[in-house]
Amino acid sequence: MLEISNLQAGYNEAMVLHDFSLIIESGKVTALMGRNGMGKTTLLKSIMGLLPLASGRISLDGQPLQGLETHKISQAGVGYVPQGREVFEDFTVYENLRLAALGSDIGSLEMLPQIFNWFPILEKRLSQKAGTFSGGQQQILAIARALITRPKILLLDEPTEGIQPSIVHEIGVKLAEISTQTGLTILLVEQNVDMVKTMADDIAFIENGALMEQCSKQILLENDALLHRYLSL
Amino acid sequence: MDFILPLVDALSYILILVLIALGLMIVFGMMGVINMAHGELFMIGAYVMVVCQNSGLPFLAGLIIAPLFVGLLGLIIESLLIRHIYLRPLDTILATWGLSIALKQLIVLWFGPESQSIASPVDSMVTLGTFSYPAYRLLVMGAAILLIGGTFWTFLKTDFGLQARAVIARPDTAATLGINTRHLYRWSFVIGTALAGLAGALIAPTISVDPQMGLGYLIPGFLSILVGGAGPLAGVLAGGAAVGGTNSLLTVWISPVAAQIAVFLLAILVIRMRPEGLLGGKK
Amino acid sequence: MRHLLPVILLGSLFAIAPLFLSDYWISQLSIYLIYGLLALSLSLVWGYGGILCFGQAVFFGIGAYVMAVMTKGMILPGLTHTFIGLIAAVTASVLFAIALGYFLFAGKGISGPYLAIVTLAIAIVLERLMSNWYALGGYNGLLDIPPMNIGLFGFDFELWDSIPIFYTLLIVVFVIFLGLSILTRSSYGMLLTALKTHPERLAFFGFSVLQLRLSVFALSAGIAGFAGALFVTVDGFASPTLIGFTLSTEILIWVALGGKEMLMAAFLGAIATRFAESWLSEIFGDYWILALGLAFMASVVLLPKGLIATPLSALAKKLKIRL
Repeated sequence: MLEISNLQAGYNEAMVLHDFSLIIESGKVTALMGRNGMGKTTLLKSIMGLLPLASGRISLDGQPLQGLETHKISQAGVGYVPQGREVFEDFTVYENLRLAALGSDIGSLEMLPQIFNWFPILEKRLSQKAGTFSGGQQQILAIARALITRPKILLLDEPTEGIQPSIVHEIGVKLAEISTQTGLTILLVEQNVDMVKTMADDIAFIENGALMEQCSKQILLENDALLHRYLSL
Repeated sequence: MDFILPLVDALSYILILVLIALGLMIVFGMMGVINMAHGELFMIGAYVMVVCQNSGLPFLAGLIIAPLFVGLLGLIIESLLIRHIYLRPLDTILATWGLSIALKQLIVLWFGPESQSIASPVDSMVTLGTFSYPAYRLLVMGAAILLIGGTFWTFLKTDFGLQARAVIARPDTAATLGINTRHLYRWSFVIGTALAGLAGALIAPTISVDPQMGLGYLIPGFLSILVGGAGPLAGVLAGGAAVGGTNSLLTVWISPVAAQIAVFLLAILVIRMRPEGLLGGKK
Repeated sequence: MRHLLPVILLGSLFAIAPLFLSDYWISQLSIYLIYGLLALSLSLVWGYGGILCFGQAVFFGIGAYVMAVMTKGMILPGLTHTFIGLIAAVTASVLFAIALGYFLFAGKGISGPYLAIVTLAIAIVLERLMSNWYALGGYNGLLDIPPMNIGLFGFDFELWDSIPIFYTLLIVVFVIFLGLSILTRSSYGMLLTALKTHPERLAFFGFSVLQLRLSVFALSAGIAGFAGALFVTVDGFASPTLIGFTLSTEILIWVALGGKEMLMAAFLGAIATRFAESWLSEIFGDYWILALGLAFMASVVLLPKGLIATPLSALAKKLKIRL
């Protein structure tokens, strides 16, 4: 369970998150939705320790994460797929995966067969440079790279951005499957409603750096008002 | 056959320059830190040989002690100085400049300003037909090639190198994958300084060792990096060859002063026209 | 005008200093004033313009050599007057700065660490060049440069004694100091601040970043060249060390130690460092340089705004004045 309480964070003097609190249940996929500039990416960066917190607490299964260095947060079991994927273009697929394994507590590639099972394309292109991949393929690599460290929770920042729709759906289905299969907790930051409907169990809405509403997917499916209010859809 | 000697001399200078530039490049490429004291670390490597010679230690012992001692110095410098100013690249120039003044003066206070000489462990000449060259210089060239190769291997083929290159490319992303960037910065810095120390120790018998010797290698070293391109490691080879080669050959054909002036001006021209360096990509 | 008071106050302090000083220290203080002027020039281009120039002595040296060549009558024997020499020296430094600046900054340009290395290399090149330019004295430099002559229209008024030299320099240096203080607070100063922090926005608002960079680079070079010209009239001697690498880095240390972003701090930084050097190097000998290196290092890490600027701005805040 990831617990975020009373978080204040931002860039220099400009605070983006104001008193943000959110609880993410273990084993569930929670989608965080909101318009651009509302603080979604800032939240994920704050969790990862990439932005200093002004105040607030973050804990994963009771272990406090706030104030830890980024690599410690990663090793504590937080996997992160950043916006824009940020794979290492000059590295091969294998090197990208190997790098993540080196950083993890396990320090080995024992997850590799499992990863290949989920994403067969990576095994086929193991020695290909990541820079030659399409956006969707890079996204798969970025997800695999995070999964190889066996995280307790996976943070995904707009994984569908700039990716062709067919692959979007494929990734959504696969992630939902992985979550069910392994009990992986996922925090998905997303604007793509289809992706959210495919994957999420719970939905949270963020506006102006604060949590506005949290509900189950069922409510979202039955009621368009929330989408209209928070996403202008 | 009188053109072979200058060519071998040029190659010898290029190799030493590349060795020094490699250390600078690791630190600059990875952390954006310009280490103005790199030349002094190179000098201290040579002075370790002076101490070893004075205390009767064998030459090889000096070659082992020099990189260890200078590497340790690098570790101290990183902990006390560099790590506090990683995010202020221009300040690293100033702070390491202060360090370079202090280190130079320490050596002056300890050994005096005069130059020292180190006896070469091998006196013989290698003769091939009409061409004859000091054996030790050839040994230095061989050792430099091994060291350059070793450094490339470390950064291109090992797990350490993989992590280091990841940190160069995307430091934040590397950290989110659990890579301890601080740790990598520190050990890369130490590797860079140890290389400088070993380079200084290796060529000590072939040059006059004095407190001012560092600068004469620092600036050409930097120009090599900038000319070659600070991105890919191979840029150092191209830059070192361009700067070192031009310098050595012009020294023979015109004069040392004209050569230095010409090389500096050419280097500045290249840096201005191709800021990404000869081998640099689109960045 | 309130912000000019500290400069005027400092100038008055200097003006009464000769009452308490020996002849030797008065001549020393004259030289310090020139170094202070040189420090002002670097503070302008680096602290205000955001251009880290590792070769500021280049302009000082050009001014010095041009002044020497002119007043010694080596090119135009008929035009050896101090004023003509000064005009020539400043013109030469400014022209060189414009040419060099255009080469360095036009188009994509060079900036940051690259600029530092390149300007350092240029200082080394010029020092080498002057050391081997035998028509200009080579390594030994040019000797017997005439003293300042402030007479006009056929009347000669040569300055030989330390007191008149000191007061002439005092007036000249503080007039420039005041001018720079006014300039950095004018709209031009605001443009410079924008140039340092957000050059891309300046371009957006229709200002030419290149022209602004060139202007501050040239102005700074002109002041440095002027300082160099004054220096040789006092010292009587122009040598390659005036144009080179060592002096360049010394200026940098004065200004960084004092505080690059405050003219007053940079000026005092130069004077304090030079004073400490002549005073402490007698007591501590070679340990002085060691201490200077360490102090410089420590101040960059701990007080990046400068050893003098930090307390000065705290004091100014208390007195409600802007320095």
